[in-house]
Amino acid sequence: MAGPLKILDGIALRAAPGDSLSIMGPSGSGKSTLLSILGALEPPSSGTMRLDGQDPFSMPEPELAAFRNRAVGFVFQDHCLLPQCTVLENALIPAMARGGNAAEDEARARKLLDRVGLGGRLTHLPSQLSGGEKQRVAIARALIREPKLMLCDEPTGNLDRTSAGAVADLLFGLHREQSVILVIVTHSEALAGKAERRYELNAGRLMGLGS
Amino acid sequence: MTTATLIRRGLAYYRRTNLAVVAGVATAVAVLAGAFLVGDSVRSSLRRIAVERIGNTQSLLTATNLFREQLAGAFGDACPMIVLEGIVTHQNSGRRASGVMVYGVDSRFWKFHGKASPGIANRDIALSAPLAAELGAAAGDTILLRLEKPTDIPAESLFGRKDDAAPTIRFNAKSVLASSELGEFSLRPTQGSVRAIFVPLDRLQSEIGASGRVNTILTGTTAAPVEQILDSAWTIEDLGLRIKALDEAGVIQFETASGIIPDALADAARSVAGGLGLRVTPVLTYMATTLRAGDREIAYSLVAAIDLAELDERFKDTATDATIVFNEWAARDLNPREGTPVTMEYLYWHADGRLTTEKAQFTAGGVVPIEGLAADRDLSPEYPGITDAENVSDWDPPFPVDLSRIHDRDEEYWDRYKTTPKAWIRIDRGQRLWQSRWGKVTALRMEPPEDQDDEEALNKAATEFRQRLRAVVKPEENGLAVIPLRARNEEAARGATDFGEYFSYFSFFLMVSALLLAALFFRLGIEQRYSEIGLLRSVGFDASRIRKLFLSEGMVLALSGALVGALGAVAYAWTILYGLGTWWSGAVGTSALSLTVSPGPLAAGVMGGVLAAMLAILLTLRGIRDWSPRSLLAGAAAHGVASSKSRARWVAIGAGLAAAGLLAAGGAGAIPAAGGFFGGGMLALVAALALLRARLQTATSRLVRSRAGLALRNLSHRPGRTVLSAALIASATFLIVSVEAFRRDPHALQSDRHSGAGGFPLIGESVRPIYLNPNSERADLNLPETPGLRFVPLRLRPGDDASCLNLYQPQNPRILGLPDSLMKEGRFSFAAGSWKDLEADAADGAIPAVADANSMQYVLHKSIGDELLLPGGQRLRFVAALSDSIFQSEILIAERSFIRAFPRQQGFRVFLIEAPEVGRKETVAAIESALADHGLDVTATADRLAAFHRVENTYLSTFQSLGALGLLLGTIGLAAILFRNVYERRREFGLLAAVGYSRADLSRLVLTENLALLAVSLAIGAGTAALAIAPVLASRGVRFSAVSMGCLLLAVLATGLIATAVATRLALRLPLVESLRSG
Repeated sequence: MAGPLKILDGIALRAAPGDSLSIMGPSGSGKSTLLSILGALEPPSSGTMRLDGQDPFSMPEPELAAFRNRAVGFVFQDHCLLPQCTVLENALIPAMARGGNAAEDEARARKLLDRVGLGGRLTHLPSQLSGGEKQRVAIARALIREPKLMLCDEPTGNLDRTSAGAVADLLFGLHREQSVILVIVTHSEALAGKAERRYELNAGRLMGLGS
Repeated sequence: MTTATLIRRGLAYYRRTNLAVVAGVATAVAVLAGAFLVGDSVRSSLRRIAVERIGNTQSLLTATNLFREQLAGAFGDACPMIVLEGIVTHQNSGRRASGVMVYGVDSRFWKFHGKASPGIANRDIALSAPLAAELGAAAGDTILLRLEKPTDIPAESLFGRKDDAAPTIRFNAKSVLASSELGEFSLRPTQGSVRAIFVPLDRLQSEIGASGRVNTILTGTTAAPVEQILDSAWTIEDLGLRIKALDEAGVIQFETASGIIPDALADAARSVAGGLGLRVTPVLTYMATTLRAGDREIAYSLVAAIDLAELDERFKDTATDATIVFNEWAARDLNPREGTPVTMEYLYWHADGRLTTEKAQFTAGGVVPIEGLAADRDLSPEYPGITDAENVSDWDPPFPVDLSRIHDRDEEYWDRYKTTPKAWIRIDRGQRLWQSRWGKVTALRMEPPEDQDDEEALNKAATEFRQRLRAVVKPEENGLAVIPLRARNEEAARGATDFGEYFSYFSFFLMVSALLLAALFFRLGIEQRYSEIGLLRSVGFDASRIRKLFLSEGMVLALSGALVGALGAVAYAWTILYGLGTWWSGAVGTSALSLTVSPGPLAAGVMGGVLAAMLAILLTLRGIRDWSPRSLLAGAAAHGVASSKSRARWVAIGAGLAAAGLLAAGGAGAIPAAGGFFGGGMLALVAALALLRARLQTATSRLVRSRAGLALRNLSHRPGRTVLSAALIASATFLIVSVEAFRRDPHALQSDRHSGAGGFPLIGESVRPIYLNPNSERADLNLPETPGLRFVPLRLRPGDDASCLNLYQPQNPRILGLPDSLMKEGRFSFAAGSWKDLEADAADGAIPAVADANSMQYVLHKSIGDELLLPGGQRLRFVAALSDSIFQSEILIAERSFIRAFPRQQGFRVFLIEAPEVGRKETVAAIESALADHGLDVTATADRLAAFHRVENTYLSTFQSLGALGLLLGTIGLAAILFRNVYERRREFGLLAAVGYSRADLSRLVLTENLALLAVSLAIGAGTAALAIAPVLASRGVRFSAVSMGCLLLAVLATGLIATAVATRLALRLPLVESLRSG
């Protein structure tokens, strides 16, 4: 009988606001698992993860969720938009999770969507958007709560070269504007190359590739 | 690889989903075939009960009066017996049972039926087990029997016995007979237990003074041969007719045992006599209580009305309408000179049970010697207690006699002349004074031509008259009838209520839920295989071939479901029959129903279920042609959102308009209100669901600003599924609310004159008729003089219960005769027509009749204007229908119609009673005690209504129980849909979790979604049900139980929430983060 599988081993990673990191690696190397740990979605079997001085995995589940909501923004390869919600509503989804000033949230969402070039598509449904447009909605959604950390899992993996380039430019442009820590997991050399620090994950071990 | 292999692989690979489809089809088949089996089993059970209870009887000869026991000899293997109804008392405990069947039988009865004789003789009797149980009687106990003594003389005539016609007979219980020993022998089909006693025939004959006479002959052959034999075997005497050759008077006298000749029979006899050249003289003899001339009077004299010229030629020209002729004896007492005014007083029995003394004025017209016709004692009919008395002081007449008015001269007259009339009046005057519904002549005297007046000629003429009269008189018109009992019972066993049909209706929602479930799982199975379909399309399978492929799979699943369902049908039917015998026994009144598995109903149900399942599968596959291979390969069918939205809108508009039309037509009375409103409500339900569907597809027009808003928006994600879930919940709510609204409250408004009880709090029914009017003759009946106590006596022709309490189809229903006075009071309320409709006689001889609307529709299966032919040949035509009344067991006709149609039914047996509320219990006890000998049972009208409502409410409970099972299936479907929805949205939930929604948030989100769905569904179901039951709500005012309704709706809500909670819990256990990676 096979024993437990070690996916990540001895990972040590530190980043400061405004840093951008890219992680590459073959399929099954543990990239998504690392991203889940960084995003406080899954606890590591050993070791710790701290963001803004807090260990999210020591928090009870509701606080953990609230932590993710305010500190982390996600962009997935498959944009994960709610098909029943409009562009504006999709961008507002994280804001709705914790309540707050709805008018301010809406204004911020409109501004972000305007920034990502979708100011004229606010009432459109995801089914009426192209792949690149959907991913731009996902980026706006990731930034709506002004997170400290923005995690992107193959954000251009489903896009054509032109769209991928546009999305990449947008991601890094917003990263600079918002001064968040940007972590991108990707197979794309081009996208990885835009990050300040590049890493490769192989057999669970993280190796720096330089800046 | 063949298509069959592909099908086999598909069936095996998707076995979990397929098993769910099979289960759905199996449930639908089980429910449908089970309902058919229930109907067939009820019919079989009723037939078995009815046939078992008549033993070997095929047909029977029965009579309203007693006839010769020897007549049975003509029918070979036949069994003469007496069948009566009586009141039985257990001496030790004092327990009393009324309405008990009393059978006077001898060894021929047991031999005829091939059963062991219980060996009863003398005063030993046998009891049916149910009667013994009710009385708590055992072998050796003393049983007192009181019964109505059959009499030829109409009880409602002056000479009829009224007060002492019921002897109490003491018996010894020898044995208790089980139903297998024919203890529950019954000529009338009934599913309830039979309370009967078996008395030695000769003892009963002796006790009721009917030696050698019976009123029933059981035969082992069908009716036709029995009628043929009867045609040659009956005698004039069997009909209670008498033909006497009076040698001394030189006449033939025709009379009846009843003392009066019915008009039709008198006409027939006149006609026959005319044909033989006999000169007919009608005679009507009556009792005058007083004949007074001046200050002299004589008491209790028989007066004959006759053609006075028969007495003396001189009266031919002198007699007037006022003439009274005395015999010498009376003339000596009264000393009337010709022209002296004479007052005659006589007692007269009125149809409403009052006995009054009437007066008639005459003028003395002459005196005749007591000789010839004037000395003929045969002019007076035989009246037991009078004509057979030795002395006048020994008279025991059925009317009050003041013996102090009898003098020696009266006794002397009686000694010398007995019943010879003392006075004579003209026949036409006499008939005006004394004729009754029984007839207007007491005898017809027929005189042969003068050249044939010798004894031999007279006897010959009498014989000829007898033969010719027999040829024209029909036994069946004179109370002697042959009844094809077995055939009639088998016909009745077809049942008033088609339980198969009822349970098909009751199970409809359950069946639809099962089919929806099957279709749903089939649909989910198809959805799982979109990419497979896309692949098949892309490699060259055309849409119709793919549809055939899936249809073949569907057929295999449907047939597999049908096989399982057939077994389930047997189990389902067994359960329902068990329920009918236990939980729902209120609806059937018996626990003797048993399961019969006949291939016909089972096959019909299986085929019906398979066809319905295939239809559901076909509907699921209908869109396969329109799906694009590209979208299918991507794992989703392309949906024509715009067209389905437009279609939903049109359905909503169409159904909404149709609903409005039906509701308006129902409200305006253009169509039956119940149908209009129920149909309107159901269409409104369809319209509301279609509107929901259309609204869901336009849901994105408003910005979602909150989590609650997001939850609501999520409902539009899969609008088809959302509407299907809503349809299941809304339909269940509609069903439960609308059915609950029809539940009857028997205590509602019973004091209202327009209620089902007509404002009468009590109703009584006696075993023996009561002849005296209980209002005017209260003292004679020992009734309490309670102020406010009032009786409305009704006439009853016993027969089959026409209400839902009787499972058999009534062949000869109970008939009540209602007095005009009651009808004029305008009590009760009508579903159609009014009391006025009973007033007009139909030109074609049909008798106008009223029945309760429920009995008319569901038991008699008749409508207004339909006719019902009774076995006696009377035609009833329904002219009006009462609304939810206490008269559900009978058909009502006007009293005057009753008297004409059923002249042999005498007295009153049903009483509507008004009694003050204070001390009512004591009043009831006093009434029952006073009329205990008549077997009067007084019950609250509310209880009587409750008995009917219990049946109705039991059906509603059955409906609701099966509806609840349907709701359970619907809930399983709902849970499946919810789980599927949540499962499909696990990536969405993963995303939400990633952006900061906790699991509790997600649970709340899903619960909010489904709470909203439940609330909308409940509102749609309850709102449209309110439309459907509007007439019921209107007719019952505000008595509709909001509390019970609220509880039911909460139960539906709770069920839905539980389903939601379970589905959400299961779905959120899935690894949400994994789902984010899978993309």
